[in-house]
Amino acid sequence: MSWYQLPATVPWLTIAVLLPLAGALLVLLAPSAARSAIKQLGVLTTVFTLVLVGLLLGGFQQGTAGLQFDEHHSWITNLGISYHLGVDGLSLFLLGLNALLFLLALAVTDPKMPRFKEFVLLMLVLEAATTGVLVALDLILFYVFWEATLVPLYLLIGAWGEGRRIYAAFKFLIYTVLASFFMLVAILALAALNANQTGTLTFDWSTLVQHPVTGSVDVLGIRVGIQVLLFLGFAVAFAVKMPLFPVHTWLPAAYTASPVPTLLIFAGLISKLGAYGFLRFNLSLFPDGTRSAGPYLAGLAVTGILYGALMALVQSDLKRLVAYASMSHLGFIGLGIFTQNLLGVEGALIQMINHGVIIAALFLTVAMIERRAGTRDRTQLRGLEQRAPLFAALFLVVSLAALGLPGLNGFVGEFLIMLGAWSRFLPLAVGAGLGVILAAWYVLRMYQGAFQEAPSQPTAFAEARWTEAGVLAPLLALMVVLGVSPAFFPAAVQATVQAVVSR
Amino acid sequence: MIDLSAVHIDYQTVLPELVVTGTIVVVLLLDLVVPPDRRRWLAVVSVVGLAIALIASIPLWGQHRSAFADTMAGDSFAAFFNVLLLAVTILTVLISPRYLRCVHLDFGEYYALVLSAAAGMMLLAAATSLMTIFLGIELLSLALYVLCSFSRLQEHSQESGLKYLLLGGFATGFLLYGMALIYGATGSTTLLGIRAFVTSSPGTNVLLLLGIGFLSVGLAFKASAAPFHMWTPDVYEGAPTIVTTFMSVATKAAAFAAVGRIFVATLPSLEAQWYVPLALIAVLSMSIGNVVAITQSNLKRLLAYSGIAHAGFIFLGILPGTTDGLAASLFYIAAYAAMNFGAFAVVTALDAKGEHADELTYWTGLFYRRPFLATTMTIFMLSLAGIPPTVGFFAKLFVFQALVTAHLWIPLIVGILTTVISLYYYLRVIVVMVTVPEGAPVEREGVGLPMTVVVGLSALGTTVMGLVPQVFGWALQATRF
Repeated sequence: MSWYQLPATVPWLTIAVLLPLAGALLVLLAPSAARSAIKQLGVLTTVFTLVLVGLLLGGFQQGTAGLQFDEHHSWITNLGISYHLGVDGLSLFLLGLNALLFLLALAVTDPKMPRFKEFVLLMLVLEAATTGVLVALDLILFYVFWEATLVPLYLLIGAWGEGRRIYAAFKFLIYTVLASFFMLVAILALAALNANQTGTLTFDWSTLVQHPVTGSVDVLGIRVGIQVLLFLGFAVAFAVKMPLFPVHTWLPAAYTASPVPTLLIFAGLISKLGAYGFLRFNLSLFPDGTRSAGPYLAGLAVTGILYGALMALVQSDLKRLVAYASMSHLGFIGLGIFTQNLLGVEGALIQMINHGVIIAALFLTVAMIERRAGTRDRTQLRGLEQRAPLFAALFLVVSLAALGLPGLNGFVGEFLIMLGAWSRFLPLAVGAGLGVILAAWYVLRMYQGAFQEAPSQPTAFAEARWTEAGVLAPLLALMVVLGVSPAFFPAAVQATVQAVVSR
Repeated sequence: MIDLSAVHIDYQTVLPELVVTGTIVVVLLLDLVVPPDRRRWLAVVSVVGLAIALIASIPLWGQHRSAFADTMAGDSFAAFFNVLLLAVTILTVLISPRYLRCVHLDFGEYYALVLSAAAGMMLLAAATSLMTIFLGIELLSLALYVLCSFSRLQEHSQESGLKYLLLGGFATGFLLYGMALIYGATGSTTLLGIRAFVTSSPGTNVLLLLGIGFLSVGLAFKASAAPFHMWTPDVYEGAPTIVTTFMSVATKAAAFAAVGRIFVATLPSLEAQWYVPLALIAVLSMSIGNVVAITQSNLKRLLAYSGIAHAGFIFLGILPGTTDGLAASLFYIAAYAAMNFGAFAVVTALDAKGEHADELTYWTGLFYRRPFLATTMTIFMLSLAGIPPTVGFFAKLFVFQALVTAHLWIPLIVGILTTVISLYYYLRVIVVMVTVPEGAPVEREGVGLPMTVVVGLSALGTTVMGLVPQVFGWALQATRF
């Protein structure tokens, strides 16, 4: 069922990819001095994209597993590369998150920043690329979009970041590109193997999914299934992007150096692209490989939960604290994915949206604190609650969602993931449970330290402004809505998830 | 007295070369009567001649002609390279007048020499005999030796020309010796005859293998592939930038045309024997080029090492010994032509001001002084680094695809690792350009309409060539010998 029917002849997804690019083109033509016009242009573009994606959300046929809004055209026919876009339960809500976060990111971008025009331009190009990642269903096309996200991100951190920005940007880039090449090799090998099997060379996901590769090869004298090898090739790329422990070391540097609008995208969305990749490609294309290698990755995910939580406990810089908290929460998503059962994967999908909403809100509020107090050092902040009660209340809701309080959205995803993990990896579920307890510890300590107790020195700390509350409002609303009626998600995605886990 | 009446001369096959050669004569004669301040008319005449040759090349597409007793071919392969080489030459000539005037090198011989080099390259691309291969290589080399030392009062330029001449002469010696050995082994100088011999007597022939080895040394030298690359950075740095722009792209393309004809079209049955040496050349080129480029602070030298690395990538497509692999190489050559020509053209545009544009420090904050050049340079750097959706990515993709199909894992892994390494220095150029400059901003100034058009065209080609599926189709069709 769907709320309404959208005409099938319109290439909706191509429009969704091209819309930000068109906005970027207009920004390019605008004079650099027209800062407010550029800002309006940027925000309007993202609003239009959000509206378009909203239309798609409503027009999506719920309860069906297949691809929708399908667009399939031949491209480089000699090599079996096609232009194939489509949406299913895996990517539907991430598209919405994508559009929402870009709108918020551009809304909080300060027009007085240096080289504002170029900043907006790159953000819009980045939006086109991330949208493309979510809708591309040809492996080469996906790879093109996947890599195309890197250059804007690299420049956004390198040119507009803070602190050791060039170092952070380079580290991020080298990690991700190196990892992506593993995926490229796996993509080429997968297509070649499939061509041996079926006789036609194709990179089309929907065809490859129907013919899982079989067989095994000798690697250094050990018999390894081909599916496991290919699984690992894809997994390296997605694990770095997500990031999973132990390939996360670029994360603290990159998150800390990012300018706030970029950080919203980086933490809120880019990490989900890694998780999405796992679901779309690893679980779907290599179900046997996932069954063999998945438990190890689930172990790494739980290690990441605990490691991130412990690291978050010892940070005094709020931005770094949230960065590690983000990593800890991403571990839950990883754990859910590799349970390979309905509950776990659904939980992971929900948690992906939740994480995007919560982390974006946390980084936004931290940035607001920094702008007011001039510092984001937890030990130097005290008693902000008395000065800015409304702001404190907003921050408290976000914090409670982050620690997984029932009634707010964080709880739903984590609970489902734990249920899923309980039936497949009992010890890991226990470890993840420990992570939840640690999360309560560092989140509450952060709130207590910064907001409660008596103010140490009489510094001014302004109350939340309407614009700030306005930016936070959609995120807070989502936290409550998703927390109170979580059933909305499973209904829409269940069929797709069922198809993925039953392969 | 040799009776030439039996030799079939097919004028359509050699028409493009004939037109270019005719233009050389016209330009040389015109140079005598054109007053010095009107020398840009020589450029116009050259462009017209080159354009006619380009049009004359197109009918060769899809044909299987041969001329002069199988020593030259008029086929899609030749047409592909003719169009590519002529396009590069036209673009070079278009941006030449302004540059030459700025550096006080505005002499008519320049155009004649560029045209000679182009004729040699086209001959090399069409050559199907050891003799015509040699002729082509010598014609292009002699013209380039002079062009490299064209700036007579600059020691750098003289050094560049001399180095190229001496080392080039040495490489030619190898080449010729190899040809002699091949002739001795097979009794034929035409590639058809050699192919017939190789297929009829499959045993190991040491003389032939030695000959092929020496021949590949000569060709690898021209393609500036490691370990025969030593001359490249010095010659590229010293030669007038416009010459570097031309030779870095065109010479490499022509040399690979010969490599393709010899190894893939003539000797596929010996793939087991030539695989290891060629794979070594490819692996060494990619490793040395990409690693040493990191340490360069001079942009011309950086691009020279990058060119060595790209020669290695182009060799990757030869390794499977199949025409599909060769098609990937051809696509790579076309991609390399667009992006590398563009990158060097940007250097040329900045050099024309008499600035020390090749030092990387000069590029600090280029975005704020020359936004157009900096933006296009960013595109070229991204493409050279192989980042989608630029053509550089698709070129690498097709080559890697060929290696995967042929199960050649070791060259593939080296190719991928060195690609990652190369990101460091390509992206450093971009970072330097976006870094805010210290001191007062320099006034923005134009670079002239021809340069804007040429750089813009290169940038356009770099952006869309990979997305347009036909280009790879052409490369595939060009390799149907």
